Amino acid sequence: MAASPHSKPSLWRRMKQHSLAYKFIAPTVVAMFLIHFIPMVQGLYLSLLDVRLTTLTLYLKAPFVGFKYYREVILALLFGSDSSRISGMLNATGNTIEYTFWTNVATLTLGMILALLLNRKFRWRGIARTLVLLPWVVPTFVTGTIFNFIWLQQGGLANRILVDWLGIIDQPITWLIGPNSLYALVIATVWRGLPFATIMMLASMQVIPLDLYEAAELDGANGLQRFRYITLPLLKPILATLVLFGVINGLYGGYNIAVQMFGGGTAFAGEYADLLVPAITRQTWERHLYGFGAASSVLLMILLLVFVGIWYRVFRSSLRTEGGS
Amino acid sequence: MGISVTERTTAKSLRVDQHRLRRFLVSRAYDLLLLLIIALLLLPIIFLIIGSFKTRQEFTVGSAFWPQSWHFENYSVMWQRVNFSKYFLNSIIICSATTLVVTILASMSGYALARFRFPGAGAFSLGILGTQLIPGTLFLIPLYMTFLWIKNTLHIPLIGTNFGATVLYVGFFLPISLWIQRSFFATIPVDLEEQAMVDGATRFQAFWYIVMPLAGPGVISTAIFVFLTAWDELLFAWVLNVQTIPVGIRQFTGVAGSEQRYELLSAASVVIILPVALMFFLLQKRFIAGLTAGAVK
Repeated sequence: MAASPHSKPSLWRRMKQHSLAYKFIAPTVVAMFLIHFIPMVQGLYLSLLDVRLTTLTLYLKAPFVGFKYYREVILALLFGSDSSRISGMLNATGNTIEYTFWTNVATLTLGMILALLLNRKFRWRGIARTLVLLPWVVPTFVTGTIFNFIWLQQGGLANRILVDWLGIIDQPITWLIGPNSLYALVIATVWRGLPFATIMMLASMQVIPLDLYEAAELDGANGLQRFRYITLPLLKPILATLVLFGVINGLYGGYNIAVQMFGGGTAFAGEYADLLVPAITRQTWERHLYGFGAASSVLLMILLLVFVGIWYRVFRSSLRTEGGS
Repeated sequence: MGISVTERTTAKSLRVDQHRLRRFLVSRAYDLLLLLIIALLLLPIIFLIIGSFKTRQEFTVGSAFWPQSWHFENYSVMWQRVNFSKYFLNSIIICSATTLVVTILASMSGYALARFRFPGAGAFSLGILGTQLIPGTLFLIPLYMTFLWIKNTLHIPLIGTNFGATVLYVGFFLPISLWIQRSFFATIPVDLEEQAMVDGATRFQAFWYIVMPLAGPGVISTAIFVFLTAWDELLFAWVLNVQTIPVGIRQFTGVAGSEQRYELLSAASVVIILPVALMFFLLQKRFIAGLTAGAVK
């Protein structure tokens, strides 16, 4: 660690002092600009242009339409729209928010239960931990394939368990069409995301000093109280991280699973389960509405930023304690 | 007197026994619950593996869990029909190269960020997090157009090639990997490097010979993370026309969708999971250590 002297040296001297640090971060800075920021700025500009299949070769010289696409979407938000393209996008927005909410709630709740169960002393703990992580090794597009089979109405694993083995219901459920399809997507996502959340929470639980629990037990706190007043507050930093990842993955994700799970390779999941990224991708690459796709992406990014803002307000206090390192 | 003492102790030990019994039963109940959840988590994978040995009819009509006879030939049929070797080889090349380059570069940058308070470090961190907030659909076309432009003017073949995909993925995964690495380097005590530098090592030597070996688990967890994510990437590979496994499988699903060759898709899926599962099992101890150290710090 370079010691900072009391009298602050000039910026240039401090920069020279850290020349190695700049050399070390240079590749990342280049990558960030080339692969992320410069394309993003182009994308922002693209959202103001009328880029279609016929004008794609013009690219940034395509006709300028300003905020046309944004206006369309906002007007549709306020007054409804008869354009199927826009109403489809609004419908996908609702689905995406619902999807994000349920995947996060389910992943965090189940992950917490699983982490608590794993954070006990028992003989097969090591192997249990490994087995729990396994779904995480399954790529998301394979997850989509697996769950496509699981949700098959005839012969799918889900209906087999519910109808044939347990007999909870008599009629096989239609999973991939209609209102159930969103939950089919949520369950597949949770299955894939649960291991990561569990292991992260388990790791945080394992560094909580045991004497905290012993002291609480002496004071007569029961299991639930110990969880509520010791475990949960100390898990807040990792929960903050997991919620942030969960929100990003929820709003931007679902593509790979949807492509394979709903079949056909088009990622169109029907009106109940169509998410924003699949919808935008379809508009962009199948209907060749590149400008409209870019504008929708910008609006999606604004939606995410709103969520991140809410997230920041909720978790601000726990971020400060984490920032100590 | 003596009797009452004995009575009291038996009563006490009985109470202790009862308490113990209760604890024992509760903890067995927890074991059972855990077992149930693990079974539910593993069932889809087991179902997939078993399904890869079935016939197509058994998928949709039969309700038996096990196949009537084991069709090992599904694998060879799949391999030829999908031209799997091509996709498999491409994916292996792209993901290995990406993992190698990203891990090295991310270690360097992550180390710099964890160790030095250089001017601009805050902006740099913010920039890294910023990259994660951009939706892929926003910079997909600009990237495609940029790659096309580079191909046409500089004649560097970035579209439809493994090289192009590797360049893309390195840029893609570098920021987030660096973030994982940073938290890991922060846990390594600084004294060791200072000692080495007192002994005459340069800062770079101290980093390379002292810090990097200590960062083993962190480096491994980053490497697995990158490999897994690259192995899983579909959208950009598809748009850049790179023939990786996800693209191949998608084409197969699209073409064979009407035929619904579930057994072939299952076989392909098993083969896709195998390399990553193998890597995971070989490295999992260090991987979990690395992952969790990053989580805690």
